[in-house]
Amino acid sequence: MKLNWMRRQQLVGYMFIAPNMIGVTAFIILPALFSIFLAFTNWEFPQLSADFVGMSNFSRLVQDEVFYNSLKNTLIFLGSVPISVGLGFLAALVLNKSVYFKKVLRTMFFLPYITTGVAIAFVWMLIFQPVNGPVNTLLMNLGISNPPGWLSSTSSAIFVFDIIWIWFLLGYNIIIYLAALQEISSEQLEASKIDGARLFHTVRYVIWPLVSPTTLFLLMTGFIVSIKQMGIFQAVTNGGPGDSTTVLSLYIYKTAFRYYDMGYASAISVALLVIIILITAIQWIAQKKWVHYS
Amino acid sequence: MRKLISTIVMFMFALIMIYPFLWMISTSFKQPFEVFQSPFQWISDQPTLKYHENVWTGTASFITYYWNSLKISIISTIGAVFFAAVAAYGFSRIEFKGRDTLFLIYLVAMMIPNQIIFIPKFIMFNALGLYNTHWALILPGLFTVLGVFMLRQFFIAVPKDISESAMLDGAGHFSIFLRIMLPMAKPSLATLAIIDFSWHWNDFENALIFLLDEKLYTVSLGLQSFVLENSVDYNGMMAAATAGMVPMIIVFLIGQKFIVEGLASSAVKG
Amino acid sequence: MKKKSVGFVVILMIVAALSACSSNNNNSQGTSGQAGSSNGSSDKVVNLTFWGGVPAEAGPQEIVDTWNKQNPNIQVTYVRYVNDDSGNLKLDTALVSGQNVDIFANYTKPLLSKRVSSGAALDLSPFSEYNIDDKMGAGAKEWLVDDKYYALPTKRNMHFVWLNKDALDEAGLPVPTDWTLADVEKYAKALQTDTRWGYASFPFWRDVVSFDGSLAVQGSVKEDGTSNFDAPIVGEALQQQYDMMHTSKVSPPISLIETTKMNLIAEFLGNKVAMLNAGEWVFRDANNLTDYPRDFTAAFAPLPRMTEGQDDFRYLGGLGDAIAINAKSEHTKEAWEFLKWYADGGMLPQAAGGRIPASKDADQAKAIELLLGDLKDKYDLESLERVLSNELPTFQVSLPQEVLDIRTEEFDKYYIKAQSLEEAIQNVVKRHNEFLKRN
Repeated sequence: MKLNWMRRQQLVGYMFIAPNMIGVTAFIILPALFSIFLAFTNWEFPQLSADFVGMSNFSRLVQDEVFYNSLKNTLIFLGSVPISVGLGFLAALVLNKSVYFKKVLRTMFFLPYITTGVAIAFVWMLIFQPVNGPVNTLLMNLGISNPPGWLSSTSSAIFVFDIIWIWFLLGYNIIIYLAALQEISSEQLEASKIDGARLFHTVRYVIWPLVSPTTLFLLMTGFIVSIKQMGIFQAVTNGGPGDSTTVLSLYIYKTAFRYYDMGYASAISVALLVIIILITAIQWIAQKKWVHYS
Repeated sequence: MRKLISTIVMFMFALIMIYPFLWMISTSFKQPFEVFQSPFQWISDQPTLKYHENVWTGTASFITYYWNSLKISIISTIGAVFFAAVAAYGFSRIEFKGRDTLFLIYLVAMMIPNQIIFIPKFIMFNALGLYNTHWALILPGLFTVLGVFMLRQFFIAVPKDISESAMLDGAGHFSIFLRIMLPMAKPSLATLAIIDFSWHWNDFENALIFLLDEKLYTVSLGLQSFVLENSVDYNGMMAAATAGMVPMIIVFLIGQKFIVEGLASSAVKG
Repeated sequence: MKKKSVGFVVILMIVAALSACSSNNNNSQGTSGQAGSSNGSSDKVVNLTFWGGVPAEAGPQEIVDTWNKQNPNIQVTYVRYVNDDSGNLKLDTALVSGQNVDIFANYTKPLLSKRVSSGAALDLSPFSEYNIDDKMGAGAKEWLVDDKYYALPTKRNMHFVWLNKDALDEAGLPVPTDWTLADVEKYAKALQTDTRWGYASFPFWRDVVSFDGSLAVQGSVKEDGTSNFDAPIVGEALQQQYDMMHTSKVSPPISLIETTKMNLIAEFLGNKVAMLNAGEWVFRDANNLTDYPRDFTAAFAPLPRMTEGQDDFRYLGGLGDAIAINAKSEHTKEAWEFLKWYADGGMLPQAAGGRIPASKDADQAKAIELLLGDLKDKYDLESLERVLSNELPTFQVSLPQEVLDIRTEEFDKYYIKAQSLEEAIQNVVKRHNEFLKRN
């Protein structure tokens, strides 16, 4: 009887996940396995044949300076994720209770997340224009005589993408945090109205721990989505100036579809996959230190 | 008073958030030579509706693109939210062997770079005869790993005793899922729907590779027609992009209603 | 490292893919117009799809409309693909799928070669009644792949310097007929004003014109198989371009061009740049006085050599728009008919946008007339005639995309002062050598 129930439970479990599992397997996992296989070949799309080249794509990878440079740029770009999550938390706190026109404000903050890439990328380019751009005009008016060259300089270009990305992800972070904040009882939030010291205390020691599972979710998904992001880089700078904004996903795209070197592109992807898994695993392990499950 | 100040402060930040959109809209009413003009002018000296008219009546048929995008995004979103909810329930409320291992595989699948699965997907769709049909976008669109993750976090947070008491009354997992969990999860489902819809609506790369016939094109693909041989028709592109945002805003406003309604009973928690 | 062929795996997948889709293929084209098929094959309507990078409204639509009217049995549809990475990817996947592509335009030799080796382009040599060398002239040879024509180059590539003649007259300068980069700088200094740059060039073409033009005879690879980008002439040319951006400041620096997506054509036509290193593609906008109002006369000069006494300099030119037939098309004969007609004058409606037919049987006078529109008085015809008919030795872009990108990345870093001249050249040589070792 007991065993039967277990079996039934097992079966029901599989039935629930089966539809999605089949789709994910067919459209993500199998294609991915195929491309891992390609990493050991020298296939050039759209040629009809290829040779096994063993590990040579990987031995090329470990010596490839462009790869390391792209990795560095990717990591700098990822810095935008925790900042955006942090800002999203603060904004959600305020937007949750203590403002008028909640709905209007929420919509305004969410707007960036729903935009089409190319058009808005162009706007960003103009905003960060070194001469006459609104950002540098503002900085000069504030008395900064030598503002950064932004997209025109190899040292600052990648940070423009951090700014764009904080802007883009913020709306998403806010609405997920808003949903999470509803769980917290209103006395806990009311308390925050009393005085400044208490407010900080409530936020830091009451609310922040309570939403920590959400924070973990946002960080993990944020890193994953960002690491895969290629479109804005292609639209705004296409990796330049020099190679200062070439991130791994763009490098993969160029290698595969500009140089038609599918084998090597697959090898870089495998490396990227390993990196994402590592970052995720670290977060998963570190969560015990700061994520509180009720 | 405090509420008033925070409202004002938030509005100032919100203005920064929508600044690029204002710019975009402003440019769509301008003349070509005004695009690069400096200092920047919000209102054109010679405002024109030409580009907005052109979106709807020009050689590129945005009405068709719109319809295609709507079709693909709506079917995909409904399917994706449903399949994600079912799977998330399985991953969070039913205990069975291998569950957590499978979920781990899911997480890894979420991390696979899109660029690298284009060609295998292309070969597969071509073999199945789905290449150059909307199914090549809709079918993969029905399955979202991130959605499963998101809803799982929500279902886990729902106290166990709710479903246990239902089970004692003789309800099976299917009826618990349909009658208890889904209604409770409305805000999360709405959130996922909004986010998922925006992915489909803005998806450019899949549409580019899998659709050949111009009558199958989507809005994001249609924006390409403003890329000329040696330059870009910025005014036209901004007008089309402005028009392209409208459905997304409507979806957000509808979705937000559900989020607000269901707020009292829900949260995304781990 | 033992190499095993896995060719059969990939071939299997693609063959499977093709056989599965051929049924689709049939109903998506070819059968739609069989209304009167009882009368035999002459009434069968063949549908062809022609892929090109020119926006439909800039000529191609008119071309296929004309053809379709004259040839009710062969109906051609034009599909525009954007000639960038993603657009080419779209074309290549379409070619692999065997769907909806019968005729396609190629814009660079490396891309054509890829398509030939993947079996996508039809060998044109069986169509022997049309002698490509004879029709198109010596420049056609540059499009040979493995000594065969897989594509028909149809257009004359014309690169030259656009000049603001009114500004030249004001400064008392004659229209140059043969000059060097140093002369360009001298001119630019004289033409520079507070609101106008002296000289500008498109970043991509600037490098091709100067470095590939200088190395066209020596070659970009030395005899020992290593990179030749450390040839002294490269450094000299690089330094000179840099000086024009940062020392004499007569050229807009590359950072400005890139970060504002500066439309150099609009700048030139708007009298904000006095001399523009460009080509025939400027004509479309130059003829459009509504969007680009212009009150000066445009004159033309040949491309500048890098240094005085550089006799092995070659001028960017040759032939372009190499049009191929999909080897998998079911109607290669009809496609060839269209292609011949296109090359021998059918393509004329594109002349207004600068595409002058290469074929000697196309009406050249008509092409020039279309090119100039009703704006003859807005062009200095004498100098135009000179650059169109000069017999300067030419070359064409032939470097692989990856090498072009390496060069742009490293040289750009020099132009924006992120590395020194020596570093830039060292890095290009190093990365080029790595590339050469791999391939």
